[in-house]
Amino acid sequence: MSTAVPTVAPCQRCASALEAEDLRCPICGLTTPPPVHGAVERETARVVRCENCGAAMEYSAEAKAPRCDFCGSVTRVETTADPVEQAEVWLPFTVDPAAARAALMGFLGKGGFFRPSGLAEEAAVESLQPLWWPAWSFQAGVDASWTADSDAGSGRSSWAPHAGRTRFDFENIPVPASKGLKVKECEALAPHYQRGSAEGAPRGPEGAHVERFEATRSGARRTVLEAVERLSRERLQQGVIPGRRFRNVHVAVALSSLHTTRLALPAYVLAYRYKGKAYRVVVHGQDAGVVLGETPISGWRVAAVVAGVLVLLLVVLLVMGVFGR
Amino acid sequence: MPEQFEETTVAVSGPRLHLGCPSCGAQLVVEASLRTMRCPYCAAPNVVERPPAAGVPEPVFALGFALTHVAAKEHVARWLKTRSRFTRSGIRSAEPGEVRGVYVPAYLYSVLAHSRFRASIGEDYQEQETYTTTENGKTVTRTRTVTRTEWRSLNGELKGYVADVLVTASTGLRNDELEALEPFDLRGLARYTPALISGWVAEEPSLTREQCLAQARQEAEERVGGRLGQFMPGDSHRELEHESRLEWEALDVCLLPVWVLAVRYAEGAPPLRVLVNGQTGEVHGKAPISVWKVVAAVLVLLVLVVAGWLLAQGGGR
Repeated sequence: MSTAVPTVAPCQRCASALEAEDLRCPICGLTTPPPVHGAVERETARVVRCENCGAAMEYSAEAKAPRCDFCGSVTRVETTADPVEQAEVWLPFTVDPAAARAALMGFLGKGGFFRPSGLAEEAAVESLQPLWWPAWSFQAGVDASWTADSDAGSGRSSWAPHAGRTRFDFENIPVPASKGLKVKECEALAPHYQRGSAEGAPRGPEGAHVERFEATRSGARRTVLEAVERLSRERLQQGVIPGRRFRNVHVAVALSSLHTTRLALPAYVLAYRYKGKAYRVVVHGQDAGVVLGETPISGWRVAAVVAGVLVLLLVVLLVMGVFGR
Repeated sequence: MPEQFEETTVAVSGPRLHLGCPSCGAQLVVEASLRTMRCPYCAAPNVVERPPAAGVPEPVFALGFALTHVAAKEHVARWLKTRSRFTRSGIRSAEPGEVRGVYVPAYLYSVLAHSRFRASIGEDYQEQETYTTTENGKTVTRTRTVTRTEWRSLNGELKGYVADVLVTASTGLRNDELEALEPFDLRGLARYTPALISGWVAEEPSLTREQCLAQARQEAEERVGGRLGQFMPGDSHRELEHESRLEWEALDVCLLPVWVLAVRYAEGAPPLRVLVNGQTGEVHGKAPISVWKVVAAVLVLLVLVVAGWLLAQGGGR
């Protein structure tokens, strides 16, 4: 996914991307350079005036801001803003609704022994909703210090302590922010998006729904940091920490060059009804081959298989009993 | 930022300033340690602006008051009522006196700490042990499971940012007092502008930058030590040693909101100083203990014990 053009210089200490309103770097805490203003030449006493009525103005603890006692107007001070996140990069739909419907039919018609026969013919598609679901995508350099107990090099105890420091580079790691889709669905959809196709505005079928980010900027940063820690922990246990079994895995990460992109990713959510029950299926918005969802299970077929297995078991036991004597 | 370290600083001292009040033109006499001054004639809230001087860094941030005058007084009244019974008489019933809201200068420090540690890690294991004991007069051999610890040495590194370290920059508020008032919610941090302190008392830093830097480094080291304690694997650890290299230090002046009260509880006794976090309402103060009350309590306890013992002796006879 193309990274948006940075409008604010990155943090001087950890090179992470900053927002225009940041007073301090959210990763390392370094103060952002203040706006340039002329230095005072000689000592003066100054009275802060209300921009509205010109009266002397004082800071008010009630209003938690400078407030004019005469006209009541409140002056905004520069603090770290925490707005609700908004998508900045949109991936277009390349699968049209007809193709999505066809993909659902293909999904229902194909394979799966336990699926009732004639599912594709009898299922009634009730709704087909194109939507963009929200996600963050981040890239970062991670300096991970770790300690853990593992079975490698263990002595009398079955555990031996290990420690180390490893550098990971994460690129284009998606972090789902959707409340409508399940985490599993998001994880299955995410790898199949064409990252080069990012656009600045939504493009897709009419009536496509946009699921908004519900997290604020600080919440988003927390979620991304949690993802960094989780991924680092996973990667450490896949070959970095010696041994095969682990416990007490402690990871401390120092991030650099963290850059987060807010994405809107296309998908279709379809609902169909089969024998009075509703089922939901998600079709990828850029790759009709990716279809996720639930299908009804044929009770008869399950019963038949269970019965078959039981009969087989009985036969085996009988045969063994015969030969055992 | 490297340019921040070139200054060698001295505490604020110097002549009082004589400035004209921009509202009424009267002469204001401003102490060098203060940043604000209310005109005694027209009550205009003046904020003093000074040219950048070596050793007196400009505030970068300020944390605005969120607790009102009335709320601060209520917090203190509640705090006074909940003091121990052994405090000097009059404290628990004292009325909070004059409350002053002060913006106290502090340094906000952050750093990238790169530590190397060495420790002895204890890994527990279980072992069968045979032992002999006497049962019904006979000597028998039994086995039991015992947990033993195998100690292994471990060397490693821990690299991470230590942000949000606050140390006082004022001689008026000791660092242990500031620590008692912490935490401050730094999400409410605002970039310093005269409007934030207008109408309030605001001090200039009165400790040198070097003193504060040393204190901040020490606090950062302590935090790294705490993190390392959590970071150790194994069932237990001992002999944890570490040394840290501090890189990319940054130190900025931040004005913190503190309500200061003097509580008069007795004639002739110095007033009790009580501090209130102007953001969270956390109260800190040291209520003096009455020696007489403690001695009296100990005596009463002794008398009771002796009386009880005598009674027991009497009963036992």
